Amino acid sequence: MKYPIISLLGFSVVLVCSTYAGDIKGKVTAKGARHSGDAVVYIDSIPGKKFDPPKEHAKMDQKNLTFIPHVLPILAGTAVDYLNSDDVLHNVFTPEKCAEKFNLGTWPKGQVRSYTFKVPGCIPVMLCNVHPEMEAYILVLETPYYALSAKDGSYTMKDIPPGKYTLKVWHEKLKGDAKEVTVGESGDVEINFEIKK
Amino acid sequence: MKTFVSCILAAACLLVLFAEDSWGIPAFSRKYKTSCSTCHYAFPMLNAFGEAFKNNGYRYPGGDENYRKEEPVSLGSEGYKKVWPDAVWPADIPGTSPLSVLAVGRINYTALSSVKWEFEFPHELEVLYAGTIGEDFSFFGELEVENEGNETEFAFPFALQFDPDPVFHLRVGMVNADPTPTQLRLTRNHYNMASFRSRNRWRFRDHQIGLEVWGAANGAGNRGGLTYRAGVVNGQGISDLNPQKDVYGKLTYKIGGLGEIGGTEGAESEASEFYVDNSITLGGFFYKGLASREGAADEDFMVFGGDVDFWYGRFIANAAVMSMNSDIPNLAERKSLVYYAQGNYVLYPWLIGLLRYEWEDRDTDDDAVQPVNAVIPGVTVVARANVKFILEFKKFLDDVNENNDAFVLQMNFGI
Repeated sequence: MKYPIISLLGFSVVLVCSTYAGDIKGKVTAKGARHSGDAVVYIDSIPGKKFDPPKEHAKMDQKNLTFIPHVLPILAGTAVDYLNSDDVLHNVFTPEKCAEKFNLGTWPKGQVRSYTFKVPGCIPVMLCNVHPEMEAYILVLETPYYALSAKDGSYTMKDIPPGKYTLKVWHEKLKGDAKEVTVGESGDVEINFEIKK
Repeated sequence: MKTFVSCILAAACLLVLFAEDSWGIPAFSRKYKTSCSTCHYAFPMLNAFGEAFKNNGYRYPGGDENYRKEEPVSLGSEGYKKVWPDAVWPADIPGTSPLSVLAVGRINYTALSSVKWEFEFPHELEVLYAGTIGEDFSFFGELEVENEGNETEFAFPFALQFDPDPVFHLRVGMVNADPTPTQLRLTRNHYNMASFRSRNRWRFRDHQIGLEVWGAANGAGNRGGLTYRAGVVNGQGISDLNPQKDVYGKLTYKIGGLGEIGGTEGAESEASEFYVDNSITLGGFFYKGLASREGAADEDFMVFGGDVDFWYGRFIANAAVMSMNSDIPNLAERKSLVYYAQGNYVLYPWLIGLLRYEWEDRDTDDDAVQPVNAVIPGVTVVARANVKFILEFKKFLDDVNENNDAFVLQMNFGI
């Protein structure tokens, strides 16, 4: 009988922690860009914490000669599936060493090729050898706490456990300062960023 | 009468300009918001996808509308198809300007000429226009101004094309009688086969005006495939120099590589470079014509020949041979043989080395005229997708032309 009671208490603690997680939300204002979307707000790292990558693959589509999404933040160790949705051949490669300069070749419509991004902090540019105008970015992050801003700049990072963190922002052309944030036992935190050249 | 003939000859001379085929069209880049290298090995030379795009009537394989990034201007809604024949069949025109400009300048160096160095800027300026009209018409044309020894020449060819299916196109106006493989060449020097003249001055290079049916289809497994074209043309001049129409035809079969009309099925590969298309294409052609020249009897001539175009990795080799039988009343029949072989190698996607060997024997049965033969080494530098430099040397190997060796640095850009 002793063990079931301990287990029940443990379960309650986990439940309480996750219940009390808060959201970090706010707005990114991009100065000098056409819109404020495609900025990634993320918690850089949490000392002593390691996160297992999800089993489910992230997805990047190639449709109408465009990578969709243009920016894809992922947790290190996540595999990304590249789907060709076009009637033309596509390719995905990156010149970045931190992603082993991979080149997935070319593949027909409807088919998928994958690559697993292992190195946190790596921000490889995705290119298509067949269509030089195509470009996308993958952000390989140390934590699963990140959000991609919408075109109006709004973002929401959900279910952040209580604690003190460094919040960073990344944009392919603009830069912004990191901010310290404290997430309490309950309630949301609002943090706004301004990014510029 | 003499004035009339002179006018006709002048018009025929204008057609010489058509030879500067310039099918690299930035208007397509604007329409699809895509780079030149989507369609070009190095402009104007097409890569495999560019051929497929052309073979689909200047449309993306598998349906154009998903890929164009500008909305065309409607000339009638889709519903009007149901009203036909009581209304005009609906169509559309490009939503953005179909115009492009191509500029060509040269620095020429001829070692044994009295003017060794020559800055020829501009050599040529072309206003190109191309696009599609609705689902099954397309157009292509140019307004071209060219310097020829300080004489300004002018040409304005165009073609309207009916494209009901990739396997059948009907083209009217400027057609493609020149059988040279990769006629949209990398070099400043024309292929000797295209420039070779019959006794009455006819040549392939002078772009032909007429009607052409042509088409393309993929081969087994959607790889490679067949192309054909057959046409009837004036032969010489916008207004024909003689009452007989010339006829021509060409058939090619491509083994391996991207399908002639595109498609991705079966095209899985570890290679991804836009200039790679591992394949071999074999072709055969003929041209039968009547060439006229003031003060000379008409020349009946027949050309037939074949070509091979081999792409493997970064390397391309192609060769073509043609034989011409020329018959002029009261003169001895003349047989000519012309061929060339060429290799390209992509050192970098922006740096291409090239070597061509060419041979031209005007009269194979008579040694009175020494055959012309030359080597052309060259380098193409694609400085930007739309800015290109060509450094090229033509070294003649025969005694007669040894003083004509020449270097050229050519600069092209398109916008």
